[in-house]
Amino acid sequence: MAHVLVVEDDPSIRTALNRTLGERGHAVSSAPDAMSGLREALDNRPDLVVLDLGLPDLDGSELLRMLRAVSAVPVIVATARDDDASVVRALDAGADDYVVKPYSAETLDARIRAVLRRASSPDEEQPLVVGGLYVDPRSRVVTVDGQTVELSPREFDLLAYLAARPGQVVSKRELLTEVWRLPYGGADKTVDVHLSWLRRKLGENAQEPRYLVSVRGVGVKLVEPAA
Amino acid sequence: MRRQILITVAASTLLVLLAFLIPLAWLVRASAADRASSEATLGVQPLTSTVGLLGAGLPGVVADTQEQLGEPVTVFLGNGQVVGTPRPVTDSVRLARGDVANRVAPRAFSANLPDGGREILIPVVGLDAGTAVVRVEVPAAKLTDGVATAWWVLGGLGVSLLALALLVADRLARSYLGPVLALTDTAALLGAGELSARVVPSGPPEVTAAGRALNRLGSRIGDLLTAEREAAADLSHRLRTPVAALRLDVDGLSDPEDRERMARDVAELSRAIDQLIAEARRPIREGMVPACDATAVVGARVAFWRVLAEDTDRELTVSVAPGPLRVRLVPGDLADAVDALLGNVFAHTPDGTSFRVVLSSRAGGGARLVIEDTGPGLPGGDVMSRGESGAGSTGLGLDIVRRSAEASGGSLALVPAHDGGTRVVLELGPPS
Repeated sequence: MAHVLVVEDDPSIRTALNRTLGERGHAVSSAPDAMSGLREALDNRPDLVVLDLGLPDLDGSELLRMLRAVSAVPVIVATARDDDASVVRALDAGADDYVVKPYSAETLDARIRAVLRRASSPDEEQPLVVGGLYVDPRSRVVTVDGQTVELSPREFDLLAYLAARPGQVVSKRELLTEVWRLPYGGADKTVDVHLSWLRRKLGENAQEPRYLVSVRGVGVKLVEPAA
Repeated sequence: MRRQILITVAASTLLVLLAFLIPLAWLVRASAADRASSEATLGVQPLTSTVGLLGAGLPGVVADTQEQLGEPVTVFLGNGQVVGTPRPVTDSVRLARGDVANRVAPRAFSANLPDGGREILIPVVGLDAGTAVVRVEVPAAKLTDGVATAWWVLGGLGVSLLALALLVADRLARSYLGPVLALTDTAALLGAGELSARVVPSGPPEVTAAGRALNRLGSRIGDLLTAEREAAADLSHRLRTPVAALRLDVDGLSDPEDRERMARDVAELSRAIDQLIAEARRPIREGMVPACDATAVVGARVAFWRVLAEDTDRELTVSVAPGPLRVRLVPGDLADAVDALLGNVFAHTPDGTSFRVVLSSRAGGGARLVIEDTGPGLPGGDVMSRGESGAGSTGLGLDIVRRSAEASGGSLALVPAHDGGTRVVLELGPPS
């Protein structure tokens, strides 16, 4: 059981998070503003903080900086701000993850678990090896049979997500949610075209797949090529 | 403006100079003639006083006088004798001598000669032989002696004054134009979206006031954009926060069927809000002058989607007019629109369906993008109405494209293609 501190000014969201995260096995405390959130974080030492940026007394990014000055507690920023500048600012200020409202309880819980997992075992981001494919999440380097492959940031995230689940069929909706951060995105052809590019760069195509195998009507999986 | 100022000053200065120099030149000439006449008159004055006393010595004195003056001198005696330079007795001589019988008194005067010279006639009365007339000729050259030089000096003075006036006018024009040009440059920068551009107010009071007003305008635009940015951020917060609470409440529903149904509704609401917020942010995203080259953006997006066409056995024909084709959209919005249209082709036609992309210029500026496929054609109903596409999508993509087209001053139309597929025509207006 993890102790999650929710710093959120909207009472409806605080109540809903108390209930839904509690149902998922977390101990939840909450604070309606930045100052009480900071006090709560210092006094009760939560395992993770879910932080809204639009707080009434102080901007959430300021609270994040103050927290980082005194604590290494993992922080997930959960906010209505979806512009790139806000995301970059929050991550640069020390946030461990970023979710945009409205998010589902399931998504937030998954992110909480992922962040806690990373926090408890910092060496988790080990290089992923599937056959001749080597993916290093930390250096963001990809090689195929020893040859470096140049990927765009999105292509790398897509490949790393699939490489972390070798042999597992991943739906396009899951990819949109987890890689594109578009939980309600309907443009699944975006995933298709990125998969096409990824195949090109890995030296294969849809007709003769090696690593990336489409499962019609279900999704795609990354497998070790048959010898 | 500088040229106009110089032309105006040159014209006015020239008029003033002509108004002064022409009378002055005439005066110089008249003065030179009067001076020559006076000198001649004074030169023969001793002769007129002594002509009656000289008797036989008169020819010698006349010769001496003539030598001193360097001009022909003639004395017409009352007895008809002519002494000095021989000249006929003209009407002028007779007029100077007078006519006692007709009560015409003798009188001195000068008269112009046909060769441009002048004759001066002085009567000498009270002589035994009757009235004598002393005549001296002033040649034309002597009447205008020094005039040419004076005129050259006056002309030079006029040219110098004109040059000086132009020089001063040019300096003045520069002092006026410098601030005006700085004002123009700053206005152009503001118009191009450089909102930090400011002018240092200087020059005449009117230009200084205009500079201050322009600086205030720049600050005001910046304030308005900041306010708009804050309003958009606030809109995002106010709309997404209650939807987030609703989404979390839906997750808490016990009935799986109700939970699934309401989650779909919340997702639909969330997409609509995303679109609303994106539209509210358009002015911030676009800045002052939204513009991009459609050939570059469309070319890049088609190249991006081509690999999926190859993987799904679709024949893709591309025709892009030579660029640049400037349109009134930021590159990101045009790329999103092209992605939505191409994504629709892949989403709503079976693998193996060929399609073509044609980008051409428009007569009034801007560009026309046509995407035509050979698929099953349009579904029934208004496909551009959200949630009514009937083909497994929400129609939001087309709504985004339509809004972008209209924001650029263009339009979006979906019509059946000649061979049964769908023809999408995206008209994009030129930058303002």
